[in-house]
Amino acid sequence: MKKSFIKYTGVLLFGLFAFTSCSSDPDSPGLEYMPDMYRSPAIEAYVDYGEVRGRIDENKKVQLTALTPPEFTIPFYGTDSNLVKTMLPYQHLPNALMKNTHGLFNERLSSQDEYTLAAADKINGVAFSEKVIEKGKKIYTAMCQHCHGEKGDGNGPMVTSGAYNGVPNYTEAQRMALSDGQMFYSIYYGKGMMGAHRSLLNKEEIWTVIHYIRSIQYKDYAKTGKIAFTDTTKTK
Amino acid sequence: MKIAHSEGFRKGKLFASILVFISIILAPNGLWSQGENLYKAKCSSCHQIEKNGTGPMLKGARQRWADAGEGDLIYEWVKNNAALRGSGKSKRANQVYNEYGGSQMQLFADLSNDQIDQILNYADSSSSKAAAPGAAGAADGKAKEDAAKEEGKGGVSKTWWIMGVIFLVIIFSVSGVRRQLKNASSESEPDTNATYWQEFKLWLWKYRAATGVTVLVLTISVLVLGLQSLGSINVMEGYQPSQPISFPHSVHAGQNGIDCKYCHNSVEKSKSAGLPTVNVCMNCHKQINGKTPEQQAQISKIYAAAGWDPNIKPAGGYTGKTSPIVWNKVHVLPDHVYFNHSQHVVAGKIDCIQCHGDMKTMKETAKVQKVEDLSKIEGNIKLTKPTLTMGWCIECHGKKEVVIDDKSNAYYDELHKRLKRDMKHYKHLKEDEKITVSELGGWECSKCHY
Repeated sequence: MKKSFIKYTGVLLFGLFAFTSCSSDPDSPGLEYMPDMYRSPAIEAYVDYGEVRGRIDENKKVQLTALTPPEFTIPFYGTDSNLVKTMLPYQHLPNALMKNTHGLFNERLSSQDEYTLAAADKINGVAFSEKVIEKGKKIYTAMCQHCHGEKGDGNGPMVTSGAYNGVPNYTEAQRMALSDGQMFYSIYYGKGMMGAHRSLLNKEEIWTVIHYIRSIQYKDYAKTGKIAFTDTTKTK
Repeated sequence: MKIAHSEGFRKGKLFASILVFISIILAPNGLWSQGENLYKAKCSSCHQIEKNGTGPMLKGARQRWADAGEGDLIYEWVKNNAALRGSGKSKRANQVYNEYGGSQMQLFADLSNDQIDQILNYADSSSSKAAAPGAAGAADGKAKEDAAKEEGKGGVSKTWWIMGVIFLVIIFSVSGVRRQLKNASSESEPDTNATYWQEFKLWLWKYRAATGVTVLVLTISVLVLGLQSLGSINVMEGYQPSQPISFPHSVHAGQNGIDCKYCHNSVEKSKSAGLPTVNVCMNCHKQINGKTPEQQAQISKIYAAAGWDPNIKPAGGYTGKTSPIVWNKVHVLPDHVYFNHSQHVVAGKIDCIQCHGDMKTMKETAKVQKVEDLSKIEGNIKLTKPTLTMGWCIECHGKKEVVIDDKSNAYYDELHKRLKRDMKHYKHLKEDEKITVSELGGWECSKCHY
């Protein structure tokens, strides 16, 4: 009786031992055949070259990821000088205060209220066409919709889920009256709580998405490409 | 009688107090909702309730004006702040204007004093913190789970040793007992002085049939296990490296509906899908600083990286001192394989979910998904080979059908044009009514290896 008890506990313990000894570690990529094939001298994005075949080289360890692109690395639009001019019709520098509120360091800053000056910039840098609206919709869905909402009313999923508040409604008269240049300025440098989106969108994309926002604001814009603004707040 | 009376009285009192309680809860609701609507329509894009943003927080705004001795002027301020500043009768007006960097508040001439009161009542009485406990509980639970997991990880090697020692002790004690029993029962046996090994050999011989079968089974199972483990070489399924910030995709992409492309924004332009730069995080996290201590701890890491100091008055500001966040790469391909995200997403129109799984429900950081899990997802091409292996790529290229002649895709338009130059070949491709990626060269070695 005693003997068989000992035997069974032995078997049981062995079983337990066998099960516990095999647990996978999520931090390990598993067995590798020739690890140098995964870590070659050719530089790949985000790959850590600090450890190759067990040898650790502190100098090659990944030190920098997820940083803002350095200045002048977001390309101008193309190399055609005419196109570049269409893309950069209005040269406005960020307001000096935006250094602190929007983190625009190491930049030329303006002491004037450039946003107000941008009100005179009424022409969109990208010519209107129906295809542009389509393209703009795609950009809007990916880049703007989660806050500004499908209809531009500031009720995106970010806001309705209660995570974020204070997103303006595009379809209010005072925002319909904004010039294209002011919209560009807001997206490019940020405005209020919104941060600068120029690391996400290039200039052509910003102009394109402005076309789409106009088509949300004005019913006929998608067909005509023209703004028919009547200020309802002032006529009343 | 007296008792009954007092009981009735007590019940009445209780009833009355419940009524009062309910009326307290319900009464201001009507007022609130009006104030709330006005707040959302007029103020919310610049003012938050409990936090300074573009403009100061509204909670306690009336009190702050009253403290400055200008309680009545707040209405004038809201209606036409420029005029109030110009009139020179208010010190506080200019003070607020300068504190918020000289950005002018809009004019609200259309609001009446009553409406302004409603807004401020709403601001003073509402509390966003009330919604937090549920989330806090969930986060707590998760933290505990994580802690338990970690303990398990560290404990494996220890249990290993303890088990081993116990096992050895048992073996020796069993054989010791056996020996003593044997010695006691049959002293006449000749080989009492035999070693353990000799005794063990004799024992094996005695039960040779069972021994043979056991050895056979053991050998075969070791062989099978060994060969199977060879198959796991270079299979990265389940790889989930720990990350500097425990980023929950379920909250960002799921709950808050942020498109994958907002953060991984080079996916349509480049080989790599890209990790968001910290300024992208700050587009939302300037305002969202977490409800629970766990969340706040994680989000403060973003602030450290972005150089954002929430304590700078009035609403936080950048200091310019940035530090990098070092994420660990999850999906790693060998150097001799070329994979391009933009190719697959723009021309191939493959959804992220096909290879990365449903990140909208993923509570932890990213992981190399198991192919079984990927194939369970509706709308995905069903595959069998392990994720991120060559077999997996090839299988998908063989199964993925493409429409090349409906002019919706510039890449396939061009291919279609070229294919039509050789109608015989084109007809051969079209024989089975479908064209797969492999038929268009998706199985050519040089497509990915060069």
